[in-house]
Amino acid sequence: MDPVTVALAVLLSALSCLLYIFIGILPGTDETATMAPIALTLLLAGVDPLLVLVWFVASIAAFKMADSIPVALAGIPGGVMAVPQVPDALVAKEHGLADTVLRKGIASSAVGQFVALVVALALSYQLMPAGEWLRTADTVLGVKVARWFWLVLAGVVVLALTSRSRWVALLSVPSFALLIQGLRSVYGRPIYISFFLGITIGPLMFDLLSMLHRELRRSYTRRGFKEVRLVRVGRISLNPLRILTKEELAHSTLWSAITSVLATVMSPVGLTILIGDLLREGSRDRVKGAVLAYTVRDAIKNATYVGGTLIPLLVIGQPTGPMAAGPAMPFFTKLDSLGMTPRDYIVSRYDYVTIVISLLLASAIAFLIAYPLLVRYSRSITLAVFRRVPAEALYGLFIAIVIMLAYYDAKVAGVFGTLVVSLVSGALWRLGVSLGVLFMTLVAAPTLVALLTALPL
Amino acid sequence: MESDEELYELYGEYVSLRELGICTAVSTALAMLFFYIAPSVAGLLNVAASGLSITLGAVGATVGFAISLFLARVKREVREV
Repeated sequence: MDPVTVALAVLLSALSCLLYIFIGILPGTDETATMAPIALTLLLAGVDPLLVLVWFVASIAAFKMADSIPVALAGIPGGVMAVPQVPDALVAKEHGLADTVLRKGIASSAVGQFVALVVALALSYQLMPAGEWLRTADTVLGVKVARWFWLVLAGVVVLALTSRSRWVALLSVPSFALLIQGLRSVYGRPIYISFFLGITIGPLMFDLLSMLHRELRRSYTRRGFKEVRLVRVGRISLNPLRILTKEELAHSTLWSAITSVLATVMSPVGLTILIGDLLREGSRDRVKGAVLAYTVRDAIKNATYVGGTLIPLLVIGQPTGPMAAGPAMPFFTKLDSLGMTPRDYIVSRYDYVTIVISLLLASAIAFLIAYPLLVRYSRSITLAVFRRVPAEALYGLFIAIVIMLAYYDAKVAGVFGTLVVSLVSGALWRLGVSLGVLFMTLVAAPTLVALLTALPL
Repeated sequence: MESDEELYELYGEYVSLRELGICTAVSTALAMLFFYIAPSVAGLLNVAASGLSITLGAVGATVGFAISLFLARVKREVREV
């Protein structure tokens, strides 16, 4: 890497970190809706894909560190991944331990990020030869099927079975694949970005349009302003080694390593719920169990995001899990300006050492900025964001970016295609289908529909 | 200060549909305006229009966000306990 690229990597990591601290603290900011459009915008704007990956990894570090801060201070999740931490935080808050979980969460986020980086990068290096085998295509029912497709299919079935409504989720897989391929045949070309964005904003659009319906609107109506009770915190040490106990450090390290690999095909939020609940239920002391669960969940959040992005990106070359097929999807999307996917560009243009150094650098810079800032000023930042930033301004910004990218992808038809996909996605999400199922179906749709139509039934 | 307007809960936040509509319209209009003027700017700078369209569009949306901060009211009542 030349000095200019290194300087750009440092600058982008720092900018990403500052932006995602702010986004992370804001309540209701969905990870895919906020991370993917910005990464996609940078890629489409012509920024080097490795630098966008640097931006992305720094954003994971800052976002996942910051989104639990409003949970600890006010019991409000800053993002979808922080939702499982709410019950633990409420128990801690009842016992006056809000500042304890706040600092433990921030410290374990750092542990999760670096453990996952080391594990994912080391494992990816060892598994790279398997990538070629996975990309080989076999003929099934007269259809060319790449071997990674079966991994995606297995992942989507597992994810559907772990959805809140497993039968609806299973039924939605072929149906949603047909909707996607049907729209693509109308457009006459393999549109991707509009559909991806449609799923991303599905829950938001479905709720918004429901509010326009007189009967449905009633369930959303609220009187007065939303009351947020923010607890006070004491002075917190900057030394992370003083923050975590040996047990918390051991659990955070162990589960970060394991879940970073499992996130290749499994849901990050599912793993955060599963492992945290196991630890909480395994403790005889309710408060101690809640603090341990909260702490380890914070490490798992970072670990699953890092592992779920890097292993599919470096080894398989296809988005095999909900993380890769969700927030990290822009790296697997073929771009006309590159003539290939950003993923292919990164692995073909840069050697492994450069990729490793870039990602470690991004995480180090993100933590050098975010860690002291959040440990020292988390309460003041949260207070400022809660008092100064209206939710409407942020939602308006993301809807505008989605409309622009959908228009860029397929003009006015792209905007309406996004609307159709978002409504179907939002309705399925309401029925208990994980959005990860829909993201992975989007990836599998061409082969899945080809196989469905080739069935002798 | 309480609001007389009917508010709706969206993603855990209370929003006014009127203000959300205004903020979205402002950000979208600016994003599309910047998106559309990008080829002219690219011609002046002698760079590829496609990448610049997205960049300027995102800049437009961000300017819209900054303006929206003054167009919508915060609907959270923060109590320090």
